[in-house]
Amino acid sequence: MINSSTNNKIITALSILAMLLTWHGLALLIGKEYILPTPAQTGLSLLLIMQSQDFWPAVLMTVGRGLLGFLISMGLGIILGMAAGFSRVINWLLRPWVTVMRSTPVMSVIILAIIWFESNLVPVVVAILMLFPIIYGNVVAGIRNINQEWLEMARMYKVKPRRIIAELYFPAILPYLLAGATTAMGIAWKVIIAAEILSQPTRAIGTDLMIAKFNFATAQVLAWTVVVIMISFVFESLLGAWENNLTNWRR
Amino acid sequence: MAFVLDKINKGFGGLEVIKDLSMQEEENRIVCILGPSGAGKTTLLNLMSGVMKADSGQISGFSGHSISYLFQETRLLPWKTVRENIDFVLKDKLPRHQREQTIERYLEMVELSPFASYYPARLSGGMKQRVSIARAFAYPADVLLMDEPFKGLDTQLKMSLIKSFIRLWTLDRRSVFFVTHDIQEAVLIGHLVYVLTDRPASIKGRIINPVPHEQRDDSNAPELQSIEQAIYQLVTL
Repeated sequence: MINSSTNNKIITALSILAMLLTWHGLALLIGKEYILPTPAQTGLSLLLIMQSQDFWPAVLMTVGRGLLGFLISMGLGIILGMAAGFSRVINWLLRPWVTVMRSTPVMSVIILAIIWFESNLVPVVVAILMLFPIIYGNVVAGIRNINQEWLEMARMYKVKPRRIIAELYFPAILPYLLAGATTAMGIAWKVIIAAEILSQPTRAIGTDLMIAKFNFATAQVLAWTVVVIMISFVFESLLGAWENNLTNWRR
Repeated sequence: MAFVLDKINKGFGGLEVIKDLSMQEEENRIVCILGPSGAGKTTLLNLMSGVMKADSGQISGFSGHSISYLFQETRLLPWKTVRENIDFVLKDKLPRHQREQTIERYLEMVELSPFASYYPARLSGGMKQRVSIARAFAYPADVLLMDEPFKGLDTQLKMSLIKSFIRLWTLDRRSVFFVTHDIQEAVLIGHLVYVLTDRPASIKGRIINPVPHEQRDDSNAPELQSIEQAIYQLVTL
């Protein structure tokens, strides 16, 4: 008998197979490698770039920038989000700033960051400006939606404020924070790559993508894209595992 | 007298909620305060606990005492186990080894020891309310304020929770102030029953129930029935 989890895996595998077949069919139909290489040509290209000595430094630098931007956004989002959740004044003070950050087009942010910052820093700054409002908004919502009855109970039993924050507020906003972190992580890699393509740091996946494009090496462009998708997938899984671990009380 | 409320008045905006309410009680009794919904019973408890201040009148006997609570909702934190939920209110009060003993003892009294490391999501409604009873008694308080903790539960569950509560109280006596709108609960639990008027609440009457708790299981007992009658007459007066 097949249980539903194995079943889902089979369906996923079939879906990926269909994706590769479609890609392969389209590539054969077009018949020009510089427009659309086949999956096999892309795989070969991936093996080649992985053997180059610049591959791992580029990957590590890109991942490092992404994580740095993500972690700073998390830190700022938690601290300022809690402050705004507790204080109406702080909430109204921060509101225009966050609104501006939320509505500025990514490309404007990148171009301005290129004018103002050193190229290595540009992707990090752009990631912070894009991710911080997401984390911040979720933390504020978490505090707003906290169950007042729990708070009343804790205060009536005279639990110390420091412990109310650590043992009541923090766990209560955790689901909101994790949802924000997952969304932010998904956006992070797209933003980082876009910023790298325009700011051209020495070691970066975005820079290599751009070089491949200039050389009409479309297989290489796709190979680097696969690398980014893999990075995104790895961090999404890590975050998912962490989330399961932290919210095991729900089951 | 240990607890005194003397001509208490309390209103919100223009609305009078409590008017010239007075009562005097000894320590270590279960005092039931019976009144219709919306009559200001919760406000009365808030005045006793000091969460709210009376507009006029004197309240003495409560301040300076440590107070614990039973609410209508269980108010357990879902990310803490049964043991951790009780520990949450004890941590600032007792040293660690004493907390462990206390928690074990009270969980045993409400027959939940095997569930100490369960999260609330895995317990039934009745079990959760027993945890919150254990939490209220485990907390080092002389006064216990109860705000309709059995409201909305089915009769059988209510009876078993009342039994747990009485057993715990008999082993570990506190001064209990228990508000309810349910005459049957008042008859089963209280040493004394105060009947409140409609809003604004004041005291309509005070009825003593001398029947020992272990003899209150049989609701057909003539003495209990006459007390229930007396309360009923006062309520409908």
